[in-house]
Amino acid sequence: MPNNLLLLAFLAWMAAAVLAALRQGLPLARILLALGSIAGIIAAIAALPHGTLAVVLPTRLAGDAVDFQMRPEALWLFGFGLAPAALACIFSTPKRDSEAGWLFGAAASLIGALGVFGVSHDAGFLIAWEIMSFGGAVMILSERLSSDAGRPVLFMLGLLEVGAVALLLAILLLAGASHSFAFTAYGQALAQAPALLLASVGILLVFGFGAKLGLLPFYEWFPTAYGAGSGASGALMSGVVMNAAFYGLSRGLLEWLPSQPSLSAGLGVFIIIIGVLSAILTALYAFQQEDWRGLLSFSSAENASIAVTMLGAALLFRGHGEALLASLAWVVALLHLAAHALAKGGLFLTADGVYRATNRYAIFHTDLLRRSSWIFGLGALFAAMSLAAMPPQAGFVSEWYVFQTVFQGFRLDTLAARLTMALAGAGLALTVAVAFATYVKVFGIGLLGRASAVDGAAPPSSVISVGVLGFCVLALAVGMPVWLKSLEIAVNARFGTEAAQAMHDGFLLVPLTAKFAFISPTMLVVVMPLLAIFPIVIVLISRRYAVRRVPVWYGGLAQDPERVSTTALTFSNALRTFYSFIYRPTEETERETHAVRYFVRRLTFTHEVAPIFGPYLFAPVTRLVFKIAGWLRPLQSGHLNFYLAVIGLLLAIILALTLF
Amino acid sequence: MTITQPAPEPGLRHRPEKLNPAALKDAARELISSGGRMQMVYAWYPQPGRIELRYVASATGKLPFVIWRCEPNGPIPSLTEVAPLLSWYEREVTDLSGLEFTGHPQPQRLVLHDGAVVPRPPFDPGYPADARIVAQNQQSIPEISGVNGDVQLLPFGPVRADVLESAEFLFFYIGEAILHYQPRLFYKHRGMEKRFEGRTAEGAVVLAERVSGVGSVAHALAYCQAVEAAADCVVPPRARFLRVLLAEMERLYNHLYYLGHLCHTTTLKVGEAQGKLLAERAKQLNARLTGSRFLRSILTIGGLRRDLSPKGWLEAELEALREAYAVYARHLETTDSHLDRLITTGKLDPKVAFDQGATGPVDRASGLDRDLRRDHPYAAYGELPVTVAVRTEGDAHARAQVRMAEIEASIALMQRVLLLLPDSPIHSECKVVANSEGLGWSESPRGTLFYAVHFDDAGRLSRVKIKSPSFSNWRAFPFTVHETNMMDYAINEASFGLTVAGCDR
Amino acid sequence: MPQWTLIGLLQGKQTAPWPLAEGADGQAGLLGMPRYHPEQCTTDCKACADVCPTAAIAMQADGPASRLDVDYGRCIVCQLCTEACPSGAMTTSSDWAFGARRRDDLRWNSRPTPDAQPQSTTGFRRSLHIRHVDAGSCNGCESELQALNNPFYNLHRLGIFFTASPRFADLLLVTGPVTYAMQGPLRAAYEAMAEPRWVMAVGTCAVSGGIAEGGYASGHGLEGVLPVDVYLPGCPPNPAAVMHALLMFLGRAQQRVKGGQLAE
Repeated sequence: MPNNLLLLAFLAWMAAAVLAALRQGLPLARILLALGSIAGIIAAIAALPHGTLAVVLPTRLAGDAVDFQMRPEALWLFGFGLAPAALACIFSTPKRDSEAGWLFGAAASLIGALGVFGVSHDAGFLIAWEIMSFGGAVMILSERLSSDAGRPVLFMLGLLEVGAVALLLAILLLAGASHSFAFTAYGQALAQAPALLLASVGILLVFGFGAKLGLLPFYEWFPTAYGAGSGASGALMSGVVMNAAFYGLSRGLLEWLPSQPSLSAGLGVFIIIIGVLSAILTALYAFQQEDWRGLLSFSSAENASIAVTMLGAALLFRGHGEALLASLAWVVALLHLAAHALAKGGLFLTADGVYRATNRYAIFHTDLLRRSSWIFGLGALFAAMSLAAMPPQAGFVSEWYVFQTVFQGFRLDTLAARLTMALAGAGLALTVAVAFATYVKVFGIGLLGRASAVDGAAPPSSVISVGVLGFCVLALAVGMPVWLKSLEIAVNARFGTEAAQAMHDGFLLVPLTAKFAFISPTMLVVVMPLLAIFPIVIVLISRRYAVRRVPVWYGGLAQDPERVSTTALTFSNALRTFYSFIYRPTEETERETHAVRYFVRRLTFTHEVAPIFGPYLFAPVTRLVFKIAGWLRPLQSGHLNFYLAVIGLLLAIILALTLF
Repeated sequence: MTITQPAPEPGLRHRPEKLNPAALKDAARELISSGGRMQMVYAWYPQPGRIELRYVASATGKLPFVIWRCEPNGPIPSLTEVAPLLSWYEREVTDLSGLEFTGHPQPQRLVLHDGAVVPRPPFDPGYPADARIVAQNQQSIPEISGVNGDVQLLPFGPVRADVLESAEFLFFYIGEAILHYQPRLFYKHRGMEKRFEGRTAEGAVVLAERVSGVGSVAHALAYCQAVEAAADCVVPPRARFLRVLLAEMERLYNHLYYLGHLCHTTTLKVGEAQGKLLAERAKQLNARLTGSRFLRSILTIGGLRRDLSPKGWLEAELEALREAYAVYARHLETTDSHLDRLITTGKLDPKVAFDQGATGPVDRASGLDRDLRRDHPYAAYGELPVTVAVRTEGDAHARAQVRMAEIEASIALMQRVLLLLPDSPIHSECKVVANSEGLGWSESPRGTLFYAVHFDDAGRLSRVKIKSPSFSNWRAFPFTVHETNMMDYAINEASFGLTVAGCDR
Repeated sequence: MPQWTLIGLLQGKQTAPWPLAEGADGQAGLLGMPRYHPEQCTTDCKACADVCPTAAIAMQADGPASRLDVDYGRCIVCQLCTEACPSGAMTTSSDWAFGARRRDDLRWNSRPTPDAQPQSTTGFRRSLHIRHVDAGSCNGCESELQALNNPFYNLHRLGIFFTASPRFADLLLVTGPVTYAMQGPLRAAYEAMAEPRWVMAVGTCAVSGGIAEGGYASGHGLEGVLPVDVYLPGCPPNPAAVMHALLMFLGRAQQRVKGGQLAE
């Protein structure tokens, strides 16, 4: 039955893609996309915890049969990623006139993601991977939200292609070593392969999938590409697409590569370092963004980096023989991405709500919280709390588990491993702190404040989508003991341990043993409202006493709260100055004066933070490519005789080759 | 009709020169290119319905002041392009006398606040006697644009922390960096200039003393000298020497308090206590000498109201104070944490200082060597050696150093006065001539102070114009605050040592 | 670098023992309000009233004899009346402790009315926080108020502090005649204070408008603007007078002026 539902989803998405390409029946296309997503979610719920049965697809690729099977962890990530996708598709992009292209791109992304999650033939996998990237590019380009969407999308595709080439190389190496194109042939069959080969494959896989996940240096396409699209695009790209990329990385590292101790440990350390550094950098850059989409995109990269770090920790633990801890780390990565998909989707759709109300994606005082339905505000609050890792939300659960896993690093026996885990803990602590500030900024400045220039409210579409996703985030946290059950079989299959059972003890969530520490969102959700009774009683009692209210004291004059409140820039300014060695911030003040320069008519202030890899890595590489192209330029001399001479030379060479 | 008789002392003679409105710009350009400087412009109504402008300028060196008279028939061109310092004076003329200046780059209200409801310009003779202005408290905040409204605004005041005068300061800032700064003054505008109208010359001395409390002597002296110039009377020698003594006593307690307040902003607590204690000692000396801690109720037209007897005790007290001060100054100049906060803080460029009309120690700390006591001597300054301290760095430290040198110079000057104090009457009769006018000046602790007085046909005051040094320096101050940081602001403001009451009048 | 702590300690105690103990109050030689001796007046002489710049002395002709009304709440201590008086009815004195609870106490009256019950300030006797608002003074009053925290007067030893926010303040201390532009901020400062709150008018400008009174921009002091609990005329009142007025307000010193005359 789950396979039938997945087939239904696939067909619905294909139909939607066709309708969108023909620009006919676009509302039907939206419904089809949403229906397909819901079918996918139901399939995931139905098939967990066992996973789907393998099905042979009717096509053949390069003469091989193509299998389709979704493992439990794939269903987990797929299902959680589809929840925001369904809502994004049903309410679609806020730019109505470019809806057809967007729907086509969305369909392509979803179909590609389905393929990435389930196809077990490497060529088929790559095709699905490319369709996913293509879908993302089409979504952003078709929206035409910014006049210059071409360059960022080109940059994105360029980096994704670098990743795809890395993936291709990795798969070729693996296929070459195992003499087969099916993923099932990898794994222990490669146990005899040279260690250098396996290590190279591992690194190539990390960079291949990292291009989409946002590991360094590939996160630099995030702000501009996401910033050229809408919140709905972001919800799709940060939800199901990012989960698919992570699933690919997880499968590649844990399934395709053999589990040799030194390989696992070495790769684990490498991945942890890359992951933590990416997390720190992306968290810092997220904090300085002043556009919803840019900020949330960097934050997606940061969360993906944290999940990748956990994956690295799983490899490290496995390499040291700690299978139970490895499975704990792996489950934590899955939990983190599940929470992230829901919450990030919720906030991207909140950004769309802001856009529909104010026609801007900028983070500025909009006062939307007061003007829109309370459901909108509550949903956005839950999503922001989850991403800021505040109890009792799902993000808090996964962050807590992350740190509990990292604390277990003392069980490792080499100094390098212990040091790596300790430093990873420190780096993650910095990341989480900056992320917390980032979400205070997003929520506090983006949705609060007085705004006399704004008079819209979030429309019902945004209210519903944000409310549903916020509720889902809370439900994920509160029902975590139940959700963990669905990963039991996956953990057992992957690591051979009962970690998923050991992670919860009744209503408490524990890191494998209740003696170390515990949390319980399930109980918090009951206790917190009870604690609120006390201040409510105080408020009610105090109503009996007359209170004289006077305006805020500013110095004797009534000030306009709008003018004097903190702005997005000033909120981030302290960190901007403190980390200026990373940001290298620039500011420019332009003064327009009258004829006499003492009298300033207008002052314009612009500011920027500088990316790291752009000027130091990509620009030199681009310059190198241009230089090489310059050397090859003589080949395009434009003279007919020269071309004929080259052709003649080539013919001579071919003749020589065939004759000798 | 203006009566100008040959003045008994050089420098006090002035003869207003009549200019056409069209010729003003060229005359100003010529004056400035020959090294002179515009000082002020004001308007008055010789008769109801007829307005007259007076421009006062100083020529180079020790030449007498230049006064131009102009009778406009409607809006006249602004001289701001030629002399930026006139911008505030012109706005004040527009606010209070109703005359418009065309081509003014900032034609907003200055003295009267935005939105204040005024039946007519206050100096218009037709202004109803009992009408009071109604404030609306509307503020127009300049547009400082960022991409998303990024720049944050801090409106500080008018009621400020600690015991301070009321003024509002607008900071446009990002974190520590101040992008733009704008003071909004004239919350304390009492309309003092108009309170002079209709009073007798003698009766108005107490009014002049209370325009700026810590500049009582300077204001009263400038006023008395203006009336004496108009009435052409001679002040007896003893009175002139005692006037110098009073002026320098005032400079002394002002500068000592300034040093204490500067230490307060650099958080040198003991230095602050010591400086303020020395200022208190100086004020107590004032009380012993004259019966008033602010040296009030002594000056009058034609000399002093009663004799003072400082000889025999004041020399020793001043010497003791000087010794205590010398130790204090030496400690201040060797305290690195204090100096660190002053050096390079709030640099005032000499060109900006000149163009914006900075005056007094602020001016002299930026290299401009001007002092009324030496260049246009009044009272007994012409017979005494006046040392003028000049520095070129233009930062807060330079301003403090100028004042410290002035303290030493003041005490030395006072000792000399006490040595040379002649015996003579302390008052001479001064008969005010109807329809006369006079210009008086003095070097107050904060800079050049002008009083221009006009008498009507009954011999009573019909117009008094006060150009206070704080008015000039507040205009120059913002140029040292743009593009600096918040931490330095309080130190910078304290290093200027300005009053708001003198500016707002 | 000098050791400022040591320098400060070596200075010794510079605080005047007054008012907590007998001793010099630092006001030696200071001329205060003129003393009025009506019995020295010659008939129909109003030389002092003619010369008074603030009309603090007014001639009242009611009934058979005319008399002078002397209002110390309007006196700017300019001593002009003492110089103009030919008969010694107005003499100089060193009376400066003119802090009073009622405005009437500042008007000369040979038979002053008995004191009204002062407001209760228990709880604030040894800890009072003051918010100062400058409503357009000439800066003389501020100079004297700023002197209160110098080592000589050292207001802190009395438990009295100036505070930055009106929310923390118990007493609103106002100087200046209340210019038109400061009316709003002054009222906002008063509104921003939590009860119990009191108001003190320091300086002749705040008591009655002083020399700057009236005109197009100035008011007539605090009368009609805020309810005043303590009046302290003077131009400006010296720091010792301010300290005495504050202590009187807190019930730690006696009000010395009654009916315009200073009790010994």
